[in-house]
Formats: sequence, structure tokens, C-alpha cells
Amino acid sequence: MLTGTILYALINTAILALMALGFNLTFGISGVANFAYGAFYILAAYGIWGIVNLLHLPYPVAIIVAIVANMIFGALMYRFVLLRVRGQALSEVIATFGIGLAILELFSYFGWVGFEYTLPVFVDRSFAIAGTYVDFQRLAILGFSVILVFCLWWFTHHTATGLAFRGIAQDERTALTFGINSDWIATLSVSFGAGLAAVAALFIIPLGSIAPGEGYDVLIKALAVCIIGGLGSTGGVIAAAFIVGFAERFTDTYIGSHWTMIVSLAAILLVLTIKPSGLFGKQKELEERI
Amino acid sequence: MLEVNDLMVFFENALALNGLSLKVDEGEIVGLIGSNSAGKTTFINTVSGLIIDMRIKEKRKGGERISIYGNIRYQGEDITEMPPNERVSKGIVVSRERHPVFQESSVVENFKIAGYLRTKAEIKETMDFVFTLFPPLSKLKTRKAGFLSGGEQQMLAIGMALVVRPKLLLLDEPLLGLSPMMQKAVMDAIVSLNKESGITVLLSEQFARPVLPVVDRAYVVENGMLSLSGTGAALMNNPEIKAAYFGV
Repeated sequence: MLTGTILYALINTAILALMALGFNLTFGISGVANFAYGAFYILAAYGIWGIVNLLHLPYPVAIIVAIVANMIFGALMYRFVLLRVRGQALSEVIATFGIGLAILELFSYFGWVGFEYTLPVFVDRSFAIAGTYVDFQRLAILGFSVILVFCLWWFTHHTATGLAFRGIAQDERTALTFGINSDWIATLSVSFGAGLAAVAALFIIPLGSIAPGEGYDVLIKALAVCIIGGLGSTGGVIAAAFIVGFAERFTDTYIGSHWTMIVSLAAILLVLTIKPSGLFGKQKELEERI
Repeated sequence: MLEVNDLMVFFENALALNGLSLKVDEGEIVGLIGSNSAGKTTFINTVSGLIIDMRIKEKRKGGERISIYGNIRYQGEDITEMPPNERVSKGIVVSRERHPVFQESSVVENFKIAGYLRTKAEIKETMDFVFTLFPPLSKLKTRKAGFLSGGEQQMLAIGMALVVRPKLLLLDEPLLGLSPMMQKAVMDAIVSLNKESGITVLLSEQFARPVLPVVDRAYVVENGMLSLSGTGAALMNNPEIKAAYFGV
């Protein structure tokens, strides 16, 4: 039972990391807390579903179209909404949260809920690993998360745009002096975050069905992981995904499944009381203020 | 190369620069000497375009109103309202005051970030050049920039500006907080950049003593206004400068 729990805890970690990386990327670079993140996730899921089931296009085409559309939508949201309230954190949160609410509640309003709204798994097979059955989709999530983290690391260390991301994240005005356009980089960061939300949906939705309520759930989980890890720190996100991922699974197995929801919220409270900037956080001002 | 005419900059109703005019010819090193709050940094920010970005950000926040009057011409073109990234691609590169570096990145990464507009080969080439210009840096390639000393950070900051391949290099108080020995090393490097690499330099500084002997010409600013100008040697012998900056 222990190996099984550990295996599922690892998968849970991968799912949480996958959910949180997009939110973290946007916040880390441009400082925009994109509260429409959960809505982007659901939007991409419905997008893929619609393209496959209503337009009858092949699944791979649907994936690419949905990811690209999400990225464009993110960029447009930055250009036409966020740019006007840039620099006022509270207004940014209200604006993005409002957009997220509108998207999710519209889907509920039109009654797009039910078991027929789901995405297919990549390969319908399961494997026995050390006596525990795991389906291919969960293994794919595990593998892909590792690849994604590596790709993000490579992107931010070896490409001009990725390095510009890190420049802007560290010192915006100095980055400006090297010809880096901060609004363009911020647009890209929101856009990439939205794209990652679509990728997360593509991998995670096949485990269940598409429901607008999922959007809030994803947002809460992404927030929990990012706050615990320290907002804007990729290492922190991975560490926090491990902590929450394992805590949730072990609570489920040894205490009771109805306690799992509390774990991430309790972890947020605990971290905020003991180390307000998160485990790997750089928000020193916050710490000093408290 | 650079011509500034009657530049006036207001932060709300406070006048930071008042009718400042100056000229920098190609191949010169020009100094801008002044005490704290004389307007040196505002001037450098206005020429580099950073103030345009500050103005936009303040406007979005509904903060301080920044107004710019007068005009700046660079190679015959009016650049007063041009955004900073376009100025960088035209060759105007600034190294801001207090040796700004990306603290959490290593020295080599700092160069890579600075080389946003350059190819990998060009970055490598300039990086090697900077390591010969500032030998101490070559031993610190993998060190995080935040752990460098002030002097090393200043060398890195100048090196990062060089990666962009400037035609006109603006240095804002490059000697601030450095030991006299480090000040000399930095000034020697600036002179060699000017003489050997042919980069035009405009530097602002409050320490007149190490700067005046090496500059072709210098302007002295007080309260946002020009009070004196002339060749470095002439200013060195000016009694007012001697009294104000050399304490003689």
C-alpha cells in the first residue's frame, strides 16, 4: 500500500506542478496575478472538445488550435484590459478575476455540464507498477511534467526571450536599458501562462470531465502551490507541489479522503503565519512589513 | 552626434532640469559634473529614454505627472519622444547609477540577458573583450552578480552596456561608492573604450577630480541648470570648480 500511495502522491505532485507552472510563470515575470487562470484552463478544455465534437476536426489539430487560441486570448487580455490598470495590483486581481468569473459562469449558464463533456485519454491502457495499477494518462502526466520543467528551465536559460523574462523579473528598469520592451515581455508572460493552462487542461481533463467548477478548483490549487512555494519561484513551485501532493495522498490513505481538501488550505495558513513570503519566496518587503 | 536643446523636465510642479542645452560630438568623452540632486540622473534618463517609460508607468498608476519640453537630437533625428528600446537599437546605451546588475543571475548570464538584441556569437565576442578590459571579472564568471563587490558590479554593469554595442555610451555616476583604486581602474577602462573602440561617452559624476583630467569637455550643472562648461583642462583650473569640487 505504501508504494502505491507514494506512486499516486508523485502523480498528484505532477498534476499540481502542471496546474501551477503557468500561473507562476506569469506572476514571476510580470507580477500579474492572473486570477482568470482557472477560466483559461476550462476555456481550453471546452475549446478542444468543441473543435473535435462540433467541427469534427482531428484531435491533434484541436490541441494546437486551442493552445494557440488561449495564448492569443491571454495576450489580448493583457493588451486591452490589464495594460490600463498596470502597476495597481488590486485592480489587476479584480480585472482578471472578473474575466475569469464571466467565462466560467457563461459556461455554467449555457449548461455545458455533464459526462459527455470530456476529453479522450491518449492511450487507454493501464500498467501494474509494484502491484499498483496506474493508467497510461497518469504516467503521461508524470513524464510530461518532468519534461515541461526541463523545457522551461532551458527556455529561461538559453533563449533570448527566456533570458529577457528573467531580466524583467529581476530588475525591470535595468532590463529596459538593454532594449528589452517590458510591455511586450509582460504580454508574452500572460500569453505563455494561458498557453500552459491549456497544456495542463489537455493532460489533466481526461482524468475527469469538463465542468466550470473545475476552473475555481484549479485556481485555488495553483494559488496554494504558488503561495506555499513563494510567488514567482519555480523551484518553490516544485517543492510546494511535492509537499501538497504527498500530504494530500497520505491524508487520503491514512486519515480519510474527506480531509484532503483541507490539506492545501491548511498548508497555506501555516506558511503564511510562519514564513509569509513562502518557502523560496523573494517578497522580502512583505516579511519585513509583518 | 547628440544635441540637447533647452531641455526642461518637470516632476509634477517640481523643476528637475531647467533649460539645459549641451552637445556631444562623435568620438568625444564628455563629462556632466554636478552635486547630488543637480539633475544628472534625470538628464541621463531623459537622453536614454527611461523617463518615457517612467512617464507611461506613472500615468497608468495615476501617479506623478512627468512633463518634458525642449528637444533631443541624435544623429540629426529628433528622439525626444522615442521609447527607450528604439533608442537602444539606434546605439544609445545607458549604464544606470548604483551599478545595476541582475543580482540572482551569474556574471555570464548577466551578459546574456544584456545581449537581448545581439546574436550569441556577438555576445561571446564582447564578453571576451570585457574580460580583457576588466581582468578581475574573468575569474568570477559563474558567481552570482549579487555576491560581487561594488567595484566588480560596476565593471559588470559597464560590460553589460558594451554587449549591446553602443555608439553613444551614457554612464550615470560610474564611480559612485568605489574605492580610489577602483575609480582609477574604471576611468582607465572608459578612456580605452573611447580611444581604442571609438565609443562616444557621456558620463555624469559628482567626483570631478578623477573625471576632469580625462574628458574632452565637461558641463557643470547646478539645480538643473548649466553653470559652467569648457574643456576638462580649463575647468580644472577654474577657481570656482577648485573651491566647489576639489576643496582647494
